[in-house]
Amino acid sequence: MSKIGVFVCHCGENISRTVDCARVAKASGQIRGVAVAKDYKYMCSDPGQALIKNAIKEHKLDGVVVSACSPHMHEKTFRKAVTEAGLNQFLCEMANIREHCSWVHEKEEPTTRKAIELVRLMVEKVKRNMALEPIRVDVTKRALVIGGGVAGIQAALDIADGGHEVILVEKDPSVGGHMAQLSETFPTLDCSQCILTPKMVDVGSHPNIKLYTYSEVEKIEGFVGNFKVTIKKKARSVDIDKCTGCGECQLKCPSKKIPSEFDRGLKNRTAIYIPFPQAVPARPVIDREHCIYFTKGKCKACQKVCPTEAVDFEQTDEYVEEEVGGIVVATGFDLYTTDKQGPYPDYKGYGEYGYGEDPDIIDGLQFERLASASGPTGGAIQRPSDGKEPKSVVFLQCIGSRHPSKGIEFCSKICCMYTAKHTMLYKHKVHHGTAYVFYMDIRAPGKGYDEFVRRAIEEDGAVYLRGRVSRIYRSGDHLIVKGADTLSGAAVEIEADMVVLATAVMPQPGIEGLFQKLGISYDQYKFASEAHPKLRPVECATAGIFLAGACQGPKDIPESVAQASAAASKALILFSRDQMLREPVVAKVNENTCIACWYCVEICPFTAISKKDIRDRQGNLIKRVAEVNPSLCTGCGTCAATCFSNSIDLDGFTDEQIYSEINSLMAVGQDLFPEPEKAEGDSPDEKAA
Amino acid sequence: MSDRTDKIREVARKWLADGTVEAVVGWEQGTYREKCSPVLVRKPEDADRLLFNDRCTNNLMTYLKRDPVRGMEKVGVVAKGCDIKSLIGLLQESQVEREKVMVLAVTCEGVKKDDGTVPIKCQACDVNTPTFYDEIVGEKVASNPDPEARFKDLEKLDAMTPAERNSFWREELDKCIRCYACRQACPLCICSRCIAEKNQPQWVETSPHPRGNFSWNLVRAYHLAGRCVECEACETACPVNIPLMLLNRAMARTVKGAFDYEAGKDPEVQPPLRTFNLDDDNSFIL
Ligand SMILES: Cc1cc2nc3c(=O)[nH]c(=O)nc-3n(C[C@H](O)[C@H](O)[C@H](O)COP(=O)(O)OP(=O)(O)OC[C@H]3O[C@@H](n4cnc5c(N)ncnc54)[C@H](O)[C@@H]3O)c2cc1C
Ligand code: SF4
Ligand code: SF4
Repeated sequence: MSKIGVFVCHCGENISRTVDCARVAKASGQIRGVAVAKDYKYMCSDPGQALIKNAIKEHKLDGVVVSACSPHMHEKTFRKAVTEAGLNQFLCEMANIREHCSWVHEKEEPTTRKAIELVRLMVEKVKRNMALEPIRVDVTKRALVIGGGVAGIQAALDIADGGHEVILVEKDPSVGGHMAQLSETFPTLDCSQCILTPKMVDVGSHPNIKLYTYSEVEKIEGFVGNFKVTIKKKARSVDIDKCTGCGECQLKCPSKKIPSEFDRGLKNRTAIYIPFPQAVPARPVIDREHCIYFTKGKCKACQKVCPTEAVDFEQTDEYVEEEVGGIVVATGFDLYTTDKQGPYPDYKGYGEYGYGEDPDIIDGLQFERLASASGPTGGAIQRPSDGKEPKSVVFLQCIGSRHPSKGIEFCSKICCMYTAKHTMLYKHKVHHGTAYVFYMDIRAPGKGYDEFVRRAIEEDGAVYLRGRVSRIYRSGDHLIVKGADTLSGAAVEIEADMVVLATAVMPQPGIEGLFQKLGISYDQYKFASEAHPKLRPVECATAGIFLAGACQGPKDIPESVAQASAAASKALILFSRDQMLREPVVAKVNENTCIACWYCVEICPFTAISKKDIRDRQGNLIKRVAEVNPSLCTGCGTCAATCFSNSIDLDGFTDEQIYSEINSLMAVGQDLFPEPEKAEGDSPDEKAA
Repeated sequence: MSDRTDKIREVARKWLADGTVEAVVGWEQGTYREKCSPVLVRKPEDADRLLFNDRCTNNLMTYLKRDPVRGMEKVGVVAKGCDIKSLIGLLQESQVEREKVMVLAVTCEGVKKDDGTVPIKCQACDVNTPTFYDEIVGEKVASNPDPEARFKDLEKLDAMTPAERNSFWREELDKCIRCYACRQACPLCICSRCIAEKNQPQWVETSPHPRGNFSWNLVRAYHLAGRCVECEACETACPVNIPLMLLNRAMARTVKGAFDYEAGKDPEVQPPLRTFNLDDDNSFIL
């Protein structure tokens, strides 16, 4: 007979407030197979664990039920304790009488009874538990970093400096992300390019970093420690090994009227182009959609001038496979567009503000380009419509952000700061101009941040108006901005030469496709979700995948970089071991009864099941059956639920265990099918017929 | 009818003579009243035993998964449209290889039950003229334009309160003698070892006690969710006349509502419970 120990925890008062723990222990002691049952104030404490360990030795226990909090909280603790007392860790189970009982019920008789039932279930299960050994899997000590913005760059450099290979995948032709577009950065006003480009160069030349630009992750298989990634290298139409980056091709390309993504449409580029002079790699790419050869079949001007014959019109998309152990996701953000039909169909735009219709209404990133020395105006603030210096500029904060009626509730966090920065950059260049800012609240709670905003107001004379703008319309040479100053209660009307909208920070459009491939979760806006908002902020619920930068939510550069280094250190921790232990809760197929219907093969979300031939010694096929790869199986149980021939069992959660749990309840409860009460008119003859 | 019989014999004879198939599964005249029985014809000269009439009720596909037919290199099978639906199920579930069967389809105006009445499946048939076959005999027969009519019977269940429904099924399932004829007749009950025969643990109590009867009949129905092609073989086989098709059709109606899927239509489309897709509807998860 089994010798099970039951240990009932009071959890201070968390459990004992509504559950009579002493009675639970006493009743548990009566269950067949229970050799010892005890209660204690804090079972997870040192003396509590000692109590369990001693009981295991004294009573030679072959199973333990800790009746306490959720396994999520303390299963590891107790499994470790029983192991120290010589018991296999998988012979220890937890009955959750806190979340499932004491916290959700009043102090009443049935509450204690429910706690007893929960213990009974677990006792029946533990009786049928088997000693299992964790599965050991080798760790591939290479990392994949997806996204080459400042976060991805930092994570890649840290892991590479830690001595491990990094695969960096960037969808655009160059790394750099949004930071490369910025002019100067708050709160210190140092030049963005000057601090970023050295890092970009490092990423391009680091011996441990393999850079795939103009590439995307196509497919991901496997699990922590052993991911297999398929990367799609989009056809660049330029052989980047032959190309020297001389730029001759750009000069000759006749297709010149394509709005530059890097300059956010304020300047045009050619069809063959290097996105910006400091690009890494500084190699061009042909935009096939606008290339005259690709659209009309004739041109090849670039090929003719290329001194190294690097232009290759025949190039096709290429797929490469890489094996990695950990993944850092750093896909960053994009800006909500305010014209009517933006890339975020779920959210309403701000048609009323005229973005996309009037050239002098621009967004924050466009202003960054105007202010940037590498920008379309060489850093001179000129309004897009006619190149005149704007004498007054109105900045509007919270465009999209904190606007539930437009579909977005969150605060984009960086706009208060960059708008203050914009007013300063403007003032430093247009000394007689006036900057007006419409804001809701000023949120500047970073190191040196509030001082920065005060400087904009006090030293650089930005006029801050608390209120919203109702309408912007053109009147001759000016834009009329109508709004309210809620502090003075007055309606205001400002004649502006240019309007800058601080639009909401949103995830990259369509990024959920990547998140689904990775099997990580995301919130309603499609920002990636962390495993725990406080205690595991850079990890995903999926083991081995870490988050860095603005793909998780609005972040500024210091935060993005800090998180990137944190993600890198998580990856390095993973790589510090040669092998990893995995829970042995995996599916097993009964080959005798499997009928090869392949339902399991089709439905396994982790493609852990394959088809196996069973042959006799002569090699003749006898039958085919399903086979589970234990290192891919996550123990989700989908197959076991789907297999109607009941040929799949989950180690640790076998049918037999579950059945006995249910059965133990039935034994105490009523018979679900008692003989029917005889209803009137229900004559015995009728029944016999 | 006799015309179709002649043609069936002719095709079967040819297939057997030229070695296209090892045997042909078909119907022959039975020994009890006008009933027809299944027959396995192996020699060309025996092809004349085959026939087709409105008493050819059996769904012969169920033999494809059994010995000796299962082991044959290639077998011919005579089939009505409804029988072919179950073949499609077997193909989807990799139980039969398409290259190993020759389907001799026969058009059909509907069959009759033992009591002479026309089954619901025939009243609402949408495959009187089969479309999936290797060879077909018989003139084209028009189908019922409203196949949903087969769900009409469920209205009486819908109208019941849960308590009434419970006692309705108690009464019906009380009759079950656990002979498992339904399972044996079903072309899609494909397990080699049925859950009803597993005893570690014993999910289904074996004695004909209400508890075991409920488990058995519900497990059988659930295992056919999204798979049952409504051929009525189980109900026809049941010796105590339990209205099993009410259960099956209720499931079929639910599957159709939830997944817009009907079993036995297209061998290339996966049954809904057989797929895992990231964009599966998750709205039912709280
Ligand atoms: C107008 C404006 C001004 C700002 N000013 C400042 C400032 O002064 N100071 C400051 O601290 N912060 C500032 N910020 C914030 C700063 O831009 C961000 O904090 C920073 O860019 C976040 O870096 P990231 O790497 O997370 O994202 P990103 O810079 O967005 O980089 C993400 C990268 O991932 C790539 N990518 C996306 N999807 C994929 C995919 N599926 N596969 C492969 N690659 C992919 C993108 O192409 C991009 O290169 C400003 C932001 C804005 C909008
Ligand atoms: S679902 Fe079950 S019977 Fe079908 S292949 Fe998988 S293990 Fe075998
Ligand atoms: S439990 Fe089954 S379905 Fe889930 S991962 Fe393992 S093999 Fe796949």
